[in-house]
Amino acid sequence: MAVAADTAYPKAVVDEFKRLAEECNICYQCGTCTSSCPSGRELYRGPRRLVRLILSGEIEAVLKSDDLWRCTECGTCTEVCRMDIDVASLLSRLRKLEHEYGGTIRCPERTAADVAAARLRKQPRIDNLRFGVAMMVEGHFPKDKVGAAESGMKIVKQMLPLGGKRAAGEAVPAARGTTTLPFYAGCALPQDHELHALVHEVAAGFGVRLDEAADAGCCGHPSRGTVDSLFSSAERVYTACPACDASLDETGVEAVPLWNALTERAARASGMVLRASTGSFVPYVGCLADRDAALAALGVAAQQAGVTMEVDYPTLHNGCCGALGGMYRGATKASTRLLEFAVEKHAPVVTTCVLCRDNLRSAARELKLDVPIRFWPEYFRAVEYAPEERTDD
Amino acid sequence: MTFPNGSGPDRPLVLLCECAGTLKNIDFDRLEQHVGLHADVLRGDHWCSRVGQAQILELMETGDGRQLTFAGCSPDFAARRFQNLMARGLQLEIADIREGCSWVHGGDSGAVTDKAGRIIDSSIAYPDALADTVSYAERRNTVVVIGGGVAGTQAAAELAQMGHDVELVERRAFLGGRAARIGTVFPTNDCGQCLPTTDAQAGTRKCFHRNVAIDHPDLSIRRRSTVEAVTGHPGDFQVSIRTLPNMVTDACINCGTCETVCEADSSEPGKKAIFSEFYDGRVIRTIDLETCTFCGRCAEECPVEAIDFSQSPRRTTVHAGAILTATGCEPAPEKYFDYLGYGHDGVVTQVELAEMLDDWAAQASLGRMPVEELVMVQCAGSRDQRHLPHCSRLCCMIALKHAIRLKALFPEMKVTICYLEMRTAGVGYENWFLDARKAGVEFLRGTPPEVQFDGHGRPVIEVEDVTAARKRVLRPDLVVLSTGMVPATDTEKLTQTLAIDRDKDGFVEILDRKNRATETSAEGVFVCGSAAGPKALIEVNTEASAVASEIHNFLTSAGRRGTAASQVDAAQCVGCDTCSTMCPFGAIMLIDRPESAPRPDEVKDDGKLAVIDAQTCRACGICAANCPEVAITHNLSDDALFGRIAMMTEGVEKPVVGFYCKECAGAAIGLSGQRRDRYPENVRLIELPCLGRVSALHIVEAARLGAAGVFLAGCAEGRCQYRTGDTSALEQMTIADEVLAESGTPLPLELWHLCAVDRLSVGRRIRMFDARAVGDELTPALFDHEMDLIGAGAGALAGAPAGAACGGGEGRGCGR
Repeated sequence: MAVAADTAYPKAVVDEFKRLAEECNICYQCGTCTSSCPSGRELYRGPRRLVRLILSGEIEAVLKSDDLWRCTECGTCTEVCRMDIDVASLLSRLRKLEHEYGGTIRCPERTAADVAAARLRKQPRIDNLRFGVAMMVEGHFPKDKVGAAESGMKIVKQMLPLGGKRAAGEAVPAARGTTTLPFYAGCALPQDHELHALVHEVAAGFGVRLDEAADAGCCGHPSRGTVDSLFSSAERVYTACPACDASLDETGVEAVPLWNALTERAARASGMVLRASTGSFVPYVGCLADRDAALAALGVAAQQAGVTMEVDYPTLHNGCCGALGGMYRGATKASTRLLEFAVEKHAPVVTTCVLCRDNLRSAARELKLDVPIRFWPEYFRAVEYAPEERTDD
Repeated sequence: MTFPNGSGPDRPLVLLCECAGTLKNIDFDRLEQHVGLHADVLRGDHWCSRVGQAQILELMETGDGRQLTFAGCSPDFAARRFQNLMARGLQLEIADIREGCSWVHGGDSGAVTDKAGRIIDSSIAYPDALADTVSYAERRNTVVVIGGGVAGTQAAAELAQMGHDVELVERRAFLGGRAARIGTVFPTNDCGQCLPTTDAQAGTRKCFHRNVAIDHPDLSIRRRSTVEAVTGHPGDFQVSIRTLPNMVTDACINCGTCETVCEADSSEPGKKAIFSEFYDGRVIRTIDLETCTFCGRCAEECPVEAIDFSQSPRRTTVHAGAILTATGCEPAPEKYFDYLGYGHDGVVTQVELAEMLDDWAAQASLGRMPVEELVMVQCAGSRDQRHLPHCSRLCCMIALKHAIRLKALFPEMKVTICYLEMRTAGVGYENWFLDARKAGVEFLRGTPPEVQFDGHGRPVIEVEDVTAARKRVLRPDLVVLSTGMVPATDTEKLTQTLAIDRDKDGFVEILDRKNRATETSAEGVFVCGSAAGPKALIEVNTEASAVASEIHNFLTSAGRRGTAASQVDAAQCVGCDTCSTMCPFGAIMLIDRPESAPRPDEVKDDGKLAVIDAQTCRACGICAANCPEVAITHNLSDDALFGRIAMMTEGVEKPVVGFYCKECAGAAIGLSGQRRDRYPENVRLIELPCLGRVSALHIVEAARLGAAGVFLAGCAEGRCQYRTGDTSALEQMTIADEVLAESGTPLPLELWHLCAVDRLSVGRRIRMFDARAVGDELTPALFDHEMDLIGAGAGALAGAPAGAACGGGEGRGCGR
């Protein structure tokens, strides 16, 4: 295989590229994988191109490609490959490789902000400015790129309430609790005040008080600096979002899914009983989480609550809720199958990812399927320590 | 040293050739003296000269029948030079002291002359058996041709014209096969129902119903017939054929009254139980026996009383010399492409589109366009590891044919072809590709994983346009799947009946993908046309003619001579099945041991005995090499082989023994010798009929006699002329390696695959192996020398580690 040995990369990277090339050198470049990719409807150029770049030995182009990070590991490409190449695993190994050798986990939004900033620098035109502003309103702006986008920033800050700072008063810290854990809420959860409060409330039910940073912001970029300063003394940080877990891990902060910690705690504490709002549920852990661990946590909770976890869903580990970079892009084959399965089982879908919850709700609306989609605190609670009973169905 | 053939008046005669003075490193006086000890020697300047040949002719006429040994050039070269004499009955034992000695060695006259003496000695002492030969028995003149499509019918007609009796067995009621039933065919854009004629109007072609070649008196057509069982052996098969009655006799005048009164439907879509199909002119209608209710109305209404329900199925046994499989292929079933939405409205196959096209042409003439946008999906289920891994070869051209037709009928129609690769390799095919482009057909490189449907049930195809690297969403009115071809129904069963191999795609496996496209793994059973993989009509026609000649050649080979078969010694055979399973030609059978046959002590009365069929045996020696009891005698006996090894290695310090087959490896080594590519004199070569002849015993014997290394050279990988000789040799080499390692005397052993192109490299390979075997490191001098020979120049890679190139190249080695 003609993989040019690029001395700019460590031997391990070059070797891994050779191995990858051997695994996909029978590729016909038929494009079926890209055609099938649920992430591919818009800016994504697909796995086919990445495979081609692997085969031509373009290490730099592959590892720098943002496409790599738009993959949600849904596995559709592997499923449709006419040559039986495990495309999804190739991409996942590439991400691991870049991660190991000095790269960073990238987020498409960050890229978009980069693009906006670069465009502004080159051509301070009104459409670029508008694009940049739009990104910044959404909270996506790179701190290290503000120089070029300074003028845009000023406008943005004027437009934003509280000058760009997010109000944190909505979160309700639990009144009582035996343990205090540092909690990082991320960007998505605080947008849903009710859910945000619920997380605190349910955690309190488990005897956990969440010590939450007031201005956590988005895990991926603008607040990266603050994450370190906020939690430098803490051993680990607890989160309610798999995207945050991944990003924080990347910055060197040990992040643990709060839900895993809570179920583990319930399993250890005697006398703590979990209760669930229905007799059975369909679990969904999404693409970003450590799926086995997340699924196991749901399983433990189901056992403790005495409810059935419907796991015979065919592509449980192959899911894609339909989101790309947190943006809903329509129901996918995987999410459609999941929701149809839930309808068939007359069970709600319970997810450990707050992004998945919203995307699956959108998908259910789109498909006109009557399926309740619950984030874990909307479904489980610990009763013994719970301050009050609450049903949400 | 004893010479079984040479003493007293029976002293062999050696024609010692000086090859016009080109064998400079041989001291001929000394050589003559050495050979003269046990043979009479006639020295000649070059025996192949006009004068020399005249002398030999004289010897032949006046000679006393003494064994003649020619010591000179290689057997291949000598056979050419003495071609005329050999045709007149000259029998020469050939000792190769030119390509095999003088020309490949350096100036050490002593060592080279010694070696030449050994080569001549071993030729005299252990001649290549002036072999007993076997004559092929008379073969039956009849050929059973299975399949009455274009391939089978044309081959049958040609065979009949060549004078053979032909039984053409067709499963359906009508000849013509698939080609005749479809509409127009590429690349001529006319119908597919004609065959070449050869008799009345040579050079013309005629439809099946007009082609009198099929009516040859020696060609009998068995319709609605299948081959049930085959017994016997090549040249004399007993073929059991089952025939269902047609019920409609040849009195039929094609008035169609029967169809109008029939009330039962056929299993063929849209047809009654009494129906007509492709018009081959000989049978006009038939009855579907599975759906017919036998009400008898058709028979009552038939004005010519052509319907005869009293006919019944019958079985016949035909004695045939050869069988031809021409069963063709058929469109892949739905399971291979249903992932593309097949079964849903708006998705059809090319076959279905072909059926719709006539109707569409009628619509076009009325100014109507049935669909506005049409997408063809190529490789639908083909070239796909999960479905059909093979390329069906016809689908690209079929798509082009249909696309061009569509654009001709409906210039406004948007036709898109989603393709993986367009394969238009064939005479005139590329023009179709260009024509389609000119007609405005869009070619989109990329194949979709699925066909979805929108709320109105209209197909939606999301596909990457690979060349543009972006996604496209197509919303055609009709999706046409270019689906692949699979072997015809029951091909698997038929191949089992005929005991022939199938390839991994299920088609009949051809014997050799380069040279023998019409033979199968079983001798006497042939194949042509799409039964061996989808083909266009031009290829089918060509193969039909080729196979007819091939079969004719096979059936008329009686009396031709082959090498004598190996023999089983009943007193040694214990009746294990090693030989019968190893034999690549199925020539060995285990029979119940006759009372009268001798048997080894440990064999009980009910033991089995191996018997070799002399007509089928090709004398490769694989059975003899693998027999655990050494009970099989090959024409080149173990005694002769052991004797040659001993004679060739005696007195040599650290000899390296090379066994090579006389086929492809022999060609490489012989040609290398003609290039005078030198290697050391301690390399001693022993020629075998096939590398499969070598057994672990021979290798161990060489080691016992002091060999420093043994290499085996056979035909190119996978190309053994006797099919499995190289794999057998590899197994034997592994056994020898284990034995030698256990006894604490490991030896470098290697197996090489050679063919004539290796003439350029085999010399180096031998030198390298020899250096390693005798323990020489690859010295800088040797390295530079080799680099010089390669042409890379001395020191071009100075600093390369010693021994770096000494790993034995591509050889399968287990030396260390």
